[in-house]
Amino acid sequence: MMDRFALAFREQQQLFLLDKTYLVQSLFTVGGVATLSGRFLVQFFWNPAFAVLITLALLGLGAWLLWFSVRETRADWPVLPLCLIPFAFLSASLSENAMHYSVLTAWLLALGALCGYSRIRSHRLAWGILLTMATYLAAGPAALLFAVCAAVLDFFRKEWASALYILAALACGLGAWLLAWTPTLGRALTPSFYYDLDAPMPVAHWIPWMVLPLSVAACRAAQKLQGKRFLVPGGCTAVFLLALLPAFRMAQNTEDRQPGITYEYEYYVANEDWDGLLKACRSHEWIPHTAQYLNLALSWKGQLLTDLLKYDQRGPTGLMMMSEGRGVETTQAHIMFAMGNMAAAQDVAFNTLNSTEGFCPTMLKMNAQVELMRGTYAVADKYLSLLEKAPHYRRWAREQKRFLYNDRAVEEDSLLGNGRRSWPVMDGFAMFGNPLEEIMRVIDANPSDKRALEYALAYMLLAKDIKGVTGVVDRYYGKPGLPSLPVSVQEAVLFYSEYTRNIGGNNNLGPDWCAAHGVAEGTFRRFQTFQEESLKSGGKAPKGYNSSYWYYLVYKEI
Amino acid sequence: MRKLIPILLSGVLLLSSCSGNIHPSGTIGSLPPLEPDYSFVTVPRNIAPLNFSYTGSEECALQVEGHTLRGREGLFSFPLRLWKELMTRDQVEMTVLVRQEGEWKAFQPFTITVKEDIDPYISYRLIPPGYQGWQKMGIYQRDLTSYKQSAILSNDLTDGNCMNCHTTLGGDPSKSVFHVRAAHGGTILTDGSSIEKLNTRTDSTISALVYPYWHPSGDYIAFSVNKTLQSFYNHGEDRIEVYDMASDVVVYDVHGKEIAWSPLTKGKDHFETFPTFSPDGQWLYFCSARAVEMPKDFKQVRYGLYRIAFNARDMSFGDRLECLYDAPAEGYSVSFPRISPDGRFLCFTRHGYGNFSIWHKDADLWMMDLETLEKWPLEAANSPETDSFHSWSGNGRWMVFSSRRGDGLYTRPYFTYIDEEGKASKPFLLPQKNPGAYYKRLMDSYNLPAFLKGPMKMSKHRIVSEIRESSGVDVQVK
Repeated sequence: MMDRFALAFREQQQLFLLDKTYLVQSLFTVGGVATLSGRFLVQFFWNPAFAVLITLALLGLGAWLLWFSVRETRADWPVLPLCLIPFAFLSASLSENAMHYSVLTAWLLALGALCGYSRIRSHRLAWGILLTMATYLAAGPAALLFAVCAAVLDFFRKEWASALYILAALACGLGAWLLAWTPTLGRALTPSFYYDLDAPMPVAHWIPWMVLPLSVAACRAAQKLQGKRFLVPGGCTAVFLLALLPAFRMAQNTEDRQPGITYEYEYYVANEDWDGLLKACRSHEWIPHTAQYLNLALSWKGQLLTDLLKYDQRGPTGLMMMSEGRGVETTQAHIMFAMGNMAAAQDVAFNTLNSTEGFCPTMLKMNAQVELMRGTYAVADKYLSLLEKAPHYRRWAREQKRFLYNDRAVEEDSLLGNGRRSWPVMDGFAMFGNPLEEIMRVIDANPSDKRALEYALAYMLLAKDIKGVTGVVDRYYGKPGLPSLPVSVQEAVLFYSEYTRNIGGNNNLGPDWCAAHGVAEGTFRRFQTFQEESLKSGGKAPKGYNSSYWYYLVYKEI
Repeated sequence: MRKLIPILLSGVLLLSSCSGNIHPSGTIGSLPPLEPDYSFVTVPRNIAPLNFSYTGSEECALQVEGHTLRGREGLFSFPLRLWKELMTRDQVEMTVLVRQEGEWKAFQPFTITVKEDIDPYISYRLIPPGYQGWQKMGIYQRDLTSYKQSAILSNDLTDGNCMNCHTTLGGDPSKSVFHVRAAHGGTILTDGSSIEKLNTRTDSTISALVYPYWHPSGDYIAFSVNKTLQSFYNHGEDRIEVYDMASDVVVYDVHGKEIAWSPLTKGKDHFETFPTFSPDGQWLYFCSARAVEMPKDFKQVRYGLYRIAFNARDMSFGDRLECLYDAPAEGYSVSFPRISPDGRFLCFTRHGYGNFSIWHKDADLWMMDLETLEKWPLEAANSPETDSFHSWSGNGRWMVFSSRRGDGLYTRPYFTYIDEEGKASKPFLLPQKNPGAYYKRLMDSYNLPAFLKGPMKMSKHRIVSEIRESSGVDVQVK
């Protein structure tokens, strides 16, 4: 029910800042305390284990607060399982990242208020109304939960005036709407307050909100049966266990619009854990998205060409995103950045950065790095200064600040210097046409950009463009970007050489040319064997060549 | 006693910020490095205090007309009372002092010139400078006599959509128009206490209405209609190119709810855009370029400045175009023509090509004398970075414009004084309590800054309700 990577991805949807303006702006809005405390906690989610532990602790705290509110004596522990039920559903609600984490902190604030209210003995009505209003300001519509729960508790004491709390909460919502603090009355009074602005909230998210007052009522009813020793604990536990199944189903139904594996991949990318990313990609079945991340990991490990065909490859869609236009997509930004198309990377990263609830830290880092490459130090300084205010990113930002206004340091840095040299010489638009053409422009500008060359060759290999591969080899072999030929490229070149000789009668690219362009003796021999065995096998793929480019070229459908 | 308390309090505040005189033992032969650079700027008498920072790391102080202010982490904050006193003069001299090796030394002094009042408010849009992806944007207003900013409307109330092109009738906050795009899309017209949502897409025009300009009578609004795209450069100083695949100019009748045009403002052979009425309402100015194949030839599209007669009595147009500036013949393009309230000067942005000058580093402000058609660059106001969208104050003595001179990317509003000869003074950046920290922290650009004669008081709730709930009135073609 709790995907640790989905929780961790929340950290990438915000940037918590130790900055007065940020804190004040976040705090002085409806539900500001819930929002700010939620963001404060989520900043620690860069570690998925922390994300799970913190969330479990908060859910547990919530259940305890509820139990503390409903208990009448310390002997009321048997109703505790009933107090867990709403939080089982709330955790299911949190399985969708469009539901903000502030819903949990808002619940805690509301239950904290309920806890306090349950201990008040005098002027309860005034306190109740005051707590409703304060909770609304601090936590938003969760105040309605407080009001309903407080009213339910009091109904069992036959204190009917507590219904006024519900009216007070409704009045707060109405006021917030009329003052344009919220866009709609619905948002001012319902769980949709905690949901992404640009999408309708699935009805399932209502369930925990309805279950909470029912749990309070159930607790109260169970307390009336206290005399029956085994019935209460047994019944409450049974009800809790029975509730787990629908809660689990709800978690499945509200599963995020983003495929869960993206969160896992993004976690490894954000932490530049390329081995972890490779391992994660290997454990999932092939889809273009998975292949793109896998190849991204290979690229950063410098193994894109050497290990490309050790993995299942099904065409260039597994290498880069083919979406047209300038989208909002972290994957796209990472791939463009790796392949040296810095303008495209920045365009996507900038739009993505500004499309999240706060600022996506990884995208902000990428923007800062591209600004350093550009030499626009004032903008880089702006981004780094912002990251410096985020505790988890402070150290990284301070390290990067040494590049500010220091062209020499930038140029000597392997990543930044390479990026600076890779700006295309020829003017044009980024992400406007064929992605291969854009990589080739990068390589034209910076022939020593190994990653860009690897991406270009990998693209051609996967697209079965062996003529293109041979052209790149002809042009760049022996130069700093392509000092030696990976086996897969040797195989492609050799195949093209054979093909042009047999079909076109062209001897220009014969064995001598191949040997002079990095095709090893062993590759010649293997190719000879491959050809012989292919003929023998009567059209079937010969064994032992599944990782060869010849196998991919001849037998793999893309 | 009640009257005494505020006086005593302000006195205490003044004393706490202004310490005793410092006598420097030496001088430094240069101007101090300041952020923002307010040296030798011209400011209106009613402007909020121009706090600024000394960007060096030494202990610093500011001597100003017999008062000494200590810098706090380099920041000089003027007590309001002192600032108001300073603004009663025609010129204020300031000297920054720094303590170096235990000795106070004085930088070269500089002056701030004080001129007549400015309109008390400006409006602008705050948006990340990518214009493609955003979570939050909004139209805001700022009291120029203080630091107070408030939202006129922000998109968290309208499901995160885009809102743009807010324009008032000569700075009158009660008459305004702006567009809301995507969800709940439409054009919102406010007039006094009434709000109206318009659906401005018609079968006869290429798009919904885009860049607006009010007729001085308030009866008409000129609009462009544009098929606009934007792309990100893979190289070069400029980052984004915004370009029109096609565009026309039309006029909307506010009362009749219909649009009309002249064949001279709407045709396939030319791209017409950025309409502006003359202050007497008799002329409609706009930019026009010979149509080329877009986006292939985007660097070949260059706009000249034209005008056509407009008759407000029957919403009719003249039968010929007048070219005021054939910029393409000189290898340039012009955008955003804006005429001074007295009708004498026309300020425009000039750049190498295209029409969306805010993304062109070479964009500069130019002035044209409408009597002689003589034109000149506003040299004191321009910078090596983009200087673009501008608007005139009600008294025609001030202009606010967008400039990327701060960091090269994020536009900020600058104000320049325009003298009787149409020459600009060195501009100053919109003041803030701590401008250095504020602008560094702000991740939005100021977009379309324009003067307001007062605050917009329309209830946000009413505007939001109209946007969200009204299906809108369909605009007709005359």
